[in-house]
Amino acid sequence: MNKNLPFASQTKMADVIHIDYRLIPILGRFGIDYGFNNKTVFEVCKKHDINVWFFLAIINSYHNPKYFPEKQLQNFSAQLIIQYLSHTHAYYLNNKVPDIERCINEMEKQSTDANYQNIKLLSNFFNQYKVELKKHLDKEDITVFPYAISLEQALESNKMDNKLIEKIKKQPIEEYERSHENMEVKLSDLKNLIIRHLPPLLCKDTCQKLLTELFRLEADLENHSRIEDNVLIPKVKLLEQKILETSGTE
Amino acid sequence: MEQNEIKKLKIAIAAKQFLYRLGIKTLISVIGVEPELYETNNYDSTSECLKLNPDIKYLIINQDILPHAKEAYLQKLRALCPWGKLMVIGDESIEHCPCASFMLNTNNQKDVLEKFQDFFFEPEKNPLENENTSVLSDREIEVLKTVALGFSNKEIAEKLFISTNTVITHRKNITEKLGIKTIAGLTVYAIINNYIDPETVKSK
Repeated sequence: MNKNLPFASQTKMADVIHIDYRLIPILGRFGIDYGFNNKTVFEVCKKHDINVWFFLAIINSYHNPKYFPEKQLQNFSAQLIIQYLSHTHAYYLNNKVPDIERCINEMEKQSTDANYQNIKLLSNFFNQYKVELKKHLDKEDITVFPYAISLEQALESNKMDNKLIEKIKKQPIEEYERSHENMEVKLSDLKNLIIRHLPPLLCKDTCQKLLTELFRLEADLENHSRIEDNVLIPKVKLLEQKILETSGTE
Repeated sequence: MEQNEIKKLKIAIAAKQFLYRLGIKTLISVIGVEPELYETNNYDSTSECLKLNPDIKYLIINQDILPHAKEAYLQKLRALCPWGKLMVIGDESIEHCPCASFMLNTNNQKDVLEKFQDFFFEPEKNPLENENTSVLSDREIEVLKTVALGFSNKEIAEKLFISTNTVITHRKNITEKLGIKTIAGLTVYAIINNYIDPETVKSK
């Protein structure tokens, strides 16, 4: 077994989780159910109609932050990459954000007069973050992802209409790249406010849970933006260029 | 995941009698220190050992290895291991002893254990390191207040009569000291510490 890339197509799927339980939500995003028996990654992926090589690239790079096969990932279709990314978005909004909110609400309930104000500050801070995160993810789901897919489809079907070419010229992905904000920084601030600056919050259990959730979301977001910035955006740039070349407008 | 490399403490024990050294070794292990040990039983071998191992961190010396002019010889040993911590054990304290800790032969078990614990676990008092680096300077607090209230670098520079570059430097230092990068985070910090009134933030 390669120590840095422990997962291969013949690895038992059950071992994947035993080796790194942080991959549990990743398997969820791919829609994989449990009860693997002795099935290998290859067999489970086949059963769920998942591209096994894409799956392996994702879990290996999630497991080992130093491993990131950008070029290999860029070779997968935009459709495939985007499917994974938008499932991740849904996971943030439908699972992680509510988990964190629940912790903060719980802390508000448990708070005493002395620290109520401070927890209220945390709660406002996170609410504001939530609005920004939703806006950020929505923008990608509603404009960026469909745009990328339309480029790929246009190339595949060789139907490049003027509208699309116009869009490539006026609003290329580069424009979005410039405004692509980093959503991890604020989370890291929230963590540091709790860890370093707030007086003890007197609700230790919930506070521990909250911190753990914040660390997990931050790590997941980091991995997510790595794929967006280093795989999807370069891929879309390439598609844009190809379309302009084939349509002879460049 | 990278594992922290565990470095063993280097400790030298200098005492004439074997039983004495054994006793010290046992106590060190009782308080949970697992060192790399160097044992010597006279002045010359101790001095030799320190010369060969300049990275010895802790030096425990029984006075019985020191020739007559105890203080002078102790100073000589001390000079051989300037970065280490020194403990001297004996019947009576030596004047101007260059050591961090002194143990009397008459000390009872409790005293001995406590002294060993302090010797190994108390951080050495270093006036430079004692300064609390996380506290902001007055000027930084002024800058923080204006940042939290939502002013731009240029506005802050005008308000505080400093250059924009100075504002940027202050902001960089504030972020480094506090570990907070965003304006929203800095605002929360400023409110917690009563640097600004939450109402003024809302009205902006």
